[in-house]
Amino acid sequence: MNQRKDQTRPPVIENPTVSKEDIEFQHPSEREFARVLDYYGIAWQYEPLTFPTDWDDEGNLLEAFSPDFYLVEQDLYVELTTLRQKLTRLKRRKLRRLRGLYPEVRVQLWNRKDFRRLLERLGIEELGEELIGQNAKES
Amino acid sequence: MDTQAMRLDSHLDRVVLTEEEIGARIAAIGSEISDDYAGRDPLLVGVLNGVVMFMADLLRAITIPVGVDFMAISHYAADRGAGTVRITKDLDESITGRHVLFVEDVIDTGLTLNYLLRALRTREPASLNVCVLFDRPYRRLIDIPLAYHGFELPDEFVVGYGLDSNGHYRNLPYVGVLKPDVRL
Repeated sequence: MNQRKDQTRPPVIENPTVSKEDIEFQHPSEREFARVLDYYGIAWQYEPLTFPTDWDDEGNLLEAFSPDFYLVEQDLYVELTTLRQKLTRLKRRKLRRLRGLYPEVRVQLWNRKDFRRLLERLGIEELGEELIGQNAKES
Repeated sequence: MDTQAMRLDSHLDRVVLTEEEIGARIAAIGSEISDDYAGRDPLLVGVLNGVVMFMADLLRAITIPVGVDFMAISHYAADRGAGTVRITKDLDESITGRHVLFVEDVIDTGLTLNYLLRALRTREPASLNVCVLFDRPYRRLIDIPLAYHGFELPDEFVVGYGLDSNGHYRNLPYVGVLKPDVRL
């Protein structure tokens, strides 16, 4: 990225705070992940920030990334990608850009295998298909 | 296939840690703990049930006087949607002012261990350190300093030496990868 483009980088966007009851999770796996965090007393926020990852020379946003969860005390973002492999590749690419632009931000990308392992350790692996989806078999 | 009638070792695809490897590492950890805690009368604390085998072998590898106590917590699978972790069996001994070594068979995300350490810290022990035999660092959400550490496990579903699948396989004296079609 050239210097001019760096200078026009749009600011990180703070998303509106929503109470836990009103959060509209994009996928059942996210709801279950939130439930696990609550169970173990971990403070979290859902998509609190949107990080610009690409923009034009005038600073107009072309691409951005909003990690799903922010673990407050751990200062850690977690992105769940439990759907198709194609989406995982897309998110990996966005994550690489995010890490390059914001090296101070700690982000973990959890794929289907990661989420399955979590369910296994929690003893609820039978919920895998329900939570991850019919198209979620490991390739 | 009647998996209930099969010998447990026939359920495994392969062994990843032998009984001898585990024993040698525990002996080394026990020796370290004996040196580090000499004269401090530490209390070893474990969470039931997975830690039983490790705790039993570790205690026998420690050569200084130590106490031992256990606690138990609710399981997410049984409690799903019920809110938060519950301590279903608390420690019998007070840990206030004691040097506590928390002994755990495995650390994965760190969620369980983090919860328990927070609960124990409120009781104001003189010190609180962690000894973990098996480390699965691949999905660590909570960074927890490990004073004593045994092995890093492969990123596969393994059982044995305290690690279970639906409550089974803990009694295997080694750690192995389950065959995909025989899980109890």
